[in-house]
Amino acid sequence: MKPSLLPSLLLALTLICSSCIRETTFSDTPEGNFEALWRIIDRQYCFFDYKSAQYGLDWDDIYQRYKQRLSPTMSSRALFQVLSEMLLELRDGHTNLISTAQTSYYTKWYDDYPANYSDTLQRIYLGTDYVTTSSMQYKVFQDNIAYLRYASFSSAISEGGLDAILSDVSLCDGLILDIRNNGGGLLTNSEKIAARFTNEKTIAGYMFHKTGYGHNDFSSPITIYTTPANSRVRWQKPVVVLTNRRTFSSANDFVCRMKQLPNVTIIGDRTGGGSGLPTSSELPNGWSVRFSACPMFDADMQQTEFGIDPDIKVDIQSADFNQGIDTIIEAARQYLHKKIAQ
Amino acid sequence: MPTFNYHFSDMCRALTLLISLTLCLFVHAQSDSARITRVTSYGVGYANVLDTYLSPLEYTGPELRAMRESIRRVTIAHQPVYRQSLFQLNASILDNPAKTGSEIYLLANWNYTWLKPLLTQSRFSVSAGPQLAANIGMLYNARNSNNPVQAKAYINAAISGMATYQTHLMGHPLHLRYQLSVPLLGLMFSPEYGQAYYELTLSHNWSRNICFTSPHNQPAIRQLISADFPIGKLSLRLSYLFDLQQSEVNKLKSHAWSHTIMLGFIKQFTLTPYFPRQ
Repeated sequence: MKPSLLPSLLLALTLICSSCIRETTFSDTPEGNFEALWRIIDRQYCFFDYKSAQYGLDWDDIYQRYKQRLSPTMSSRALFQVLSEMLLELRDGHTNLISTAQTSYYTKWYDDYPANYSDTLQRIYLGTDYVTTSSMQYKVFQDNIAYLRYASFSSAISEGGLDAILSDVSLCDGLILDIRNNGGGLLTNSEKIAARFTNEKTIAGYMFHKTGYGHNDFSSPITIYTTPANSRVRWQKPVVVLTNRRTFSSANDFVCRMKQLPNVTIIGDRTGGGSGLPTSSELPNGWSVRFSACPMFDADMQQTEFGIDPDIKVDIQSADFNQGIDTIIEAARQYLHKKIAQ
Repeated sequence: MPTFNYHFSDMCRALTLLISLTLCLFVHAQSDSARITRVTSYGVGYANVLDTYLSPLEYTGPELRAMRESIRRVTIAHQPVYRQSLFQLNASILDNPAKTGSEIYLLANWNYTWLKPLLTQSRFSVSAGPQLAANIGMLYNARNSNNPVQAKAYINAAISGMATYQTHLMGHPLHLRYQLSVPLLGLMFSPEYGQAYYELTLSHNWSRNICFTSPHNQPAIRQLISADFPIGKLSLRLSYLFDLQQSEVNKLKSHAWSHTIMLGFIKQFTLTPYFPRQ
């Protein structure tokens, strides 16, 4: 290149490179915030087609219906009401609208179903002689069945803690792992615990992500594996995982993983689902919005957004509850004894 | 803005060629002058940062920046060339327009530049040449749940130009300088549009996460205006930096614009060869 051309080239590049890369902006008005929220979900939400097939979700129709409810002078509280109701149409427990004053939640995934879990019953079963290790409580029942309670996948667990628990109950005939009312947390904890129940690398499911703005712009699937925790204590006897409708998100992922393993049986109610990995964004008025962005499928490439059926469906019976009996735990004990006898 | 998909191996080959050519220049460089000018500057400014992976809103706030520049004249292929090494660290604490969310932006930048004199007069000179630039940093959003951080990592082959003018102000020498740098080609890390970092840990195929960049998707520019002057026994540099870093890859838009005023301390020294006694 001739030296004299360099300044000209630099000048041209300077002009080209001074153009700004910006995102489309919306005004901080009821209409601007509505448009921003609708567009964020339209571009990034990951279950439009699935939910359209399941219950007729039509995001364009929702735009028309909810836009009519806006007015330039509406209060912030009224706007929050409209926008949160619009998000409820997604029927997604991972979707929240968050202002400084309040947070919206979709709760029908468990509100419309039996609780199938009781703190009162859990206190009766755990008693006072349980052990707490790595955010898990456990004890050995009189029939030599170990009962392990994990309340949240957000709670930290360590490999050493899992070693200690599984070593401590190693003489038991079977294990009940209770993740009812476990609303999820870290997927890495799901992976870490499931790794203690398999001797072989097993396909746990698949994950996709959006690659563009269209409702169907998805990547090719990434395979998710459950890899055995080598050089660690691994459980080799029958296991029952207890579930209810509030077994959600990472806990749902854990059930997805465990269902593929040979010694594992799921007992209780259908899980609450929540198979979309959530992401966050925000509106011009500073409200935050959270929603599902990356769909996860089970090993048979089936959606689990609306839950996973148990192998054995059991509900807590009122008569049992009144006598301090957890029908689901008792069903698990009976199942394990039958399995051991075989 | 159009986006192009290139095969990862092609991009690597292109970059390897680019780096090799640059290294050839470096290898053939010979020290011509032992006189080195080194400037350490500190500054404050104002930053405007956008990354649509984290938020569609532009975050703004104060910026702190430190810069260390070293420049020396060398000879390449019997031609005099100025070899400049410039390292910068900048940090910003930013708020969204409604002041309900905050972000922290950190970036380290290193530029290695060869400037060939194109025009040399008694007071005025113009030089230009190639530059290698490496950047690494992160943008952290304090309230996002599963997407709290965006990593920043990119390398560029750039072109840089410099104009200098020597004058006097109230009897004291004043050295004015303007330098600009524009990236031409590069590689940039970026997650895909809706890709979670969790998924990146599961995948062994990152080919779509290393993106080819050029001014069509990375129209970036750095402009530095400085004035060097003595005060007593000190040589100081007062400078203004306009740093416009922006990109649009994998349908993710990002920019970090900043205006920074800096005060620097100039040190000039000469390397003396040392021959130990036999």
